[in-house]
Amino acid sequence: MGAPVSPGHGPGLDLFAAASAEGAWTVGEVTRRARAVIEAGLPPLWVRGEIAGFKAWRSGHWYFSLRDKTAQMRCVMFAKQNFRLPTPSDGMQVFVFARPSMYEEKGEFQLTVMELLSTEQGGLWKLAFEKAKAALTRDGLLDPARKRRLPAFPRRIAVVTSPDGAALRDIQAVVGRRWPVAELIVVPAQVQGAKAEASVCSALNRIRRLPVDVLVVARGGGSVEDLWAFNSERVARAVAAMPMPVISAIGHETDVTLCDLVADLRAPTPSAAAEAATPDRGEVLAQCGVLGQRLARALRTASRHVVERLDRAGDRLVRGIEHRIERSGALLTAHGARLDALSPLRVLGRGYAVARDENGQVLKRVAQLPSGKVFRLRVTDGEVHGRVQ
Amino acid sequence: MAEFSKQLERLEAIMRRLESEDLDLDEALKLFEEGVERLRAAREQLQQAELKVKKVLEIESPS
Repeated sequence: MGAPVSPGHGPGLDLFAAASAEGAWTVGEVTRRARAVIEAGLPPLWVRGEIAGFKAWRSGHWYFSLRDKTAQMRCVMFAKQNFRLPTPSDGMQVFVFARPSMYEEKGEFQLTVMELLSTEQGGLWKLAFEKAKAALTRDGLLDPARKRRLPAFPRRIAVVTSPDGAALRDIQAVVGRRWPVAELIVVPAQVQGAKAEASVCSALNRIRRLPVDVLVVARGGGSVEDLWAFNSERVARAVAAMPMPVISAIGHETDVTLCDLVADLRAPTPSAAAEAATPDRGEVLAQCGVLGQRLARALRTASRHVVERLDRAGDRLVRGIEHRIERSGALLTAHGARLDALSPLRVLGRGYAVARDENGQVLKRVAQLPSGKVFRLRVTDGEVHGRVQ
Repeated sequence: MAEFSKQLERLEAIMRRLESEDLDLDEALKLFEEGVERLRAAREQLQQAELKVKKVLEIESPS
């Protein structure tokens, strides 16, 4: 009990002194004294109650009241105590481990809270998780339709993780074995502690501007507090806003964080994330072999098409010529008919005759036919011989 | 060297062109040669690769 008091007054109330203005206590003296009494009489203790009037200050300190049906009291929880905790909300039933004291400037009885536990199902973590998840769902960030396909042959793979954790070593080993064609861009971040949230967000922000095909966010296993940065709504929104597909591998297989939920793919371990991000070089080489065969087959097909086209062209040529020949035949018949019409045999048919001498010379004039001349007479159905008389 | 996935995309396009019916033999041969060359380049890219790891701190310009 080291609180200073006015001279002449011992511990306990001096009713006579209080009765006169002479030697009255100052406000500061009373509050200091009250604080000393409270701190001596009430050691740190567990208190149960309901949170009311919760307010988080920019400094990170939390101010709220704890109440039950009959009473309430002011509480403060400083940033260095609360930084690992999700933010509670009004109406929540909690246990606090606190030091009772007096906030002298306001003359208020106050609990300085050192630990805060929720009595609700799953505790404060679970509640905060569900609250953030509900906000992300409302904004459509957990919609399965948002999930993007991973690139088949990534050229640049970015990794956000602790620079000296096992996660990075595992990822490097897997990518080196399966797909060394890629370039691995490591963006170190603090993955636990008070600065983890800001550190992960700033790492994501830097990757935004890099030409990266796929991003892996990884962290090995840990307690729920250790993984908390990956349950922060801020980190989840930053992951959802990345321009490239994101694979998330946080904690062990049983831990599902908000980061896992908003990512395009959730992998159970960092190694599995690296496997999902890469094709296998051996398999791709085998595919190249198949492609080579297909290429040769395609060339054969192409040349067969050329030959077929030539054949078709040849057929058309032959058909064209045949057509010409047919037409020529018809023409010939027509000419024949016309020729026939002009034939001298037709004239003979009408009753005329042609006289020729023994040499075949046509005899047209009287002078050519002296008496006794032998001639041949061609009529329509044959020839007869005669002599002029 | 062209990006691996670009190589494969071009190969796909070559195949489709070769498998279509309106090619000169001359054009088909040219495409085939290009296909073979790209396939060879892709294979080489796969076989010679060695993983490069960069820390962003190293490649970032001071700003």
